[in-house]
Amino acid sequence: MDFRFDIIWDYAPLLLKGTLYTIAISISSILLGSILGLGVSFGKMSSRRFLRWPMQSYVNFFRGTPLLVQIYIVHFGLIPLLYGKTNALIAAITALSLNAAAYTAEIYRAGIQSIDKGQMEAAKSLGMTHAQAMRFVILPQAIRRMIPAFGNEFIVLVKDSSLVALITAPEIMYWSNAMKAQYIRVWEPYLAAAFIYFVLTYFLSKLLAAVERKV
Amino acid sequence: MKKWYFIAILTLVAAVVLSGCGAKNSNNAGSEAGNSSEDVTYMFATDAAYAPMEYMDKDNITGFDIEFLDLVMQEAGLKHEVKHTGWDGMLEGVKQANEFQAGISSISITDERKQTYDYSMPYFESINVIMVKEGSDIKSALDLKGKKVAVQSGTTADILMTGIMGEGNTDLKKFDNNAVALLELDQGGADAVVADIAIVRDYIKKNPDKKYVEVSDTTNFTPEYYGILYPKGSDLKAKLDPAIKAVIENGKYAELYKKWFGEEPNTANLLNAK
Repeated sequence: MDFRFDIIWDYAPLLLKGTLYTIAISISSILLGSILGLGVSFGKMSSRRFLRWPMQSYVNFFRGTPLLVQIYIVHFGLIPLLYGKTNALIAAITALSLNAAAYTAEIYRAGIQSIDKGQMEAAKSLGMTHAQAMRFVILPQAIRRMIPAFGNEFIVLVKDSSLVALITAPEIMYWSNAMKAQYIRVWEPYLAAAFIYFVLTYFLSKLLAAVERKV
Repeated sequence: MKKWYFIAILTLVAAVVLSGCGAKNSNNAGSEAGNSSEDVTYMFATDAAYAPMEYMDKDNITGFDIEFLDLVMQEAGLKHEVKHTGWDGMLEGVKQANEFQAGISSISITDERKQTYDYSMPYFESINVIMVKEGSDIKSALDLKGKKVAVQSGTTADILMTGIMGEGNTDLKKFDNNAVALLELDQGGADAVVADIAIVRDYIKKNPDKKYVEVSDTTNFTPEYYGILYPKGSDLKAKLDPAIKAVIENGKYAELYKKWFGEEPNTANLLNAK
C-alpha cells in the first residue's frame, strides 16, 4: 500500500489553518452551548408549564434529529432568514451550539437533581432564597458531578464539528475533502484528519482530567 | 501481562484490517469474466446525485448515463447492474476492481485520473459554464476572482476554479454535490455556481422563477469528454469500445440525447476526440 506523505505535506498549511478553525468553532460552540444549556435545564426543571413545555420540546427536537440535518437546516434556512444570506461559519457555530445546549441541559439537570433534596430544604430553612440556595449550595456540589459528563460532551462536539465541512466551513475535514478530491486518494486525507482530531481530543481529555482533579 | 497480550492482539487485528484494504487487487473480477462470458453480471458504480446525468428516481437509478449504458451493454450482449456508491465509493471501488468492474458517472477524462485508471472512448461532450442571477456583471471566468463561487468538490469545475482563484481560497466553496452548491446560490451565500452545462441548463429549465442565466466562457473553460472508468488493465475496454462506437454511429445515441436534452448531439466531435 503506497502512502504519499508528500500530498499531506502539500496540504499541511491548509490543514493547520483548518485546525485553528476547528478549535475556534469548537470552543465557541462549547461556551455558547453550555450557557444556553443552563437556561434550558432551568426551564425544564421549572414548575411553570409555559417554561417547562417549550424547553422540553427543544431538548426533544435537538436530541431526536440528526446533527447533520440540523446543520443543513440552520445553514440554508435559519441563517438566511435572520442574516439575509448564508454564512458557513455562523451557521456552523449556531448549529453546534444549539445541539450542544440540548445535551448539556440534560447534564445540568442530572447533576442538580443528584443532590439530595434535604440540602435545598436546609438552605431555605437558613433563610436563603431559591436562587441563593442554587448558587451557593447546590451548584457548587453539582458541578463537580457534572464534569465527567461535560468532558464527554466536549470531546464529542470537537469530533462532530467535522460535519460542518459539508456546508463549507473551512475546518479540518473541509481541507481533507479538498485534498481527497484533488488527488483522488482516500487514505492520506482521512488518516491525516483522524490524526489531527485524535491529537485535539487527546489534549482536551488531559485538560479535563486536570480540571477534574482540581475542582 | 494480560494488558500486553490485549494490546498485541489489537495491533495485529488493526494490521490485518489495514493491509486487507490494499491487498484485494489480486482477485480481479475482470479476469474471471474472460472464462465464462455469459453468466457474468458486470457491476458498475455511480454517484447518482448529478441530475440529469445520473440520479435517483425514488429507489431507481436513472439519467442519461444510465440509459446510455443500457444501450451499450445491450449492443455488447453483456449483463450489468448499476449501484449508487457515491463519488468516493466509486473511485475507490473501481480502483480496487474487486466488487466493481467499472464506473459511469459523468467522469471527465483527465490526465491526472489516467495515471490511476483506464477510460473508455469518449461518449459525451461537455463544458463547464457559469450560472448567475440575471443582470449580474459576471461575463467571464476571470470576473469570478474576488467573488464567492460554489462548486461540487472534485469536479472539473472545482479544478478549473481552484486554478483561477488559487488553492486555499475560501471564497471558492466546495460542496459535496451540486444540489447544495445551487442552494447556496439561491440563499445568497455565493455569487455564482460553476458546473457542467447539462446540470446548469437542467436547473435553469426547472426553476424559471429564480431568474438565472448561463454565462459561457470558452477561453477559460474548454470542452471535455466523459468516459467510462475502468481499473488499470481492464479487459472491459476492448469489449465496450466497439459497442459505444456502434451506439453512436447507428443513431441510437442521438435519439437518447434528444430525449434528455432536446437537441442534436455533435457526434462527429465525439468520434474525432482522442
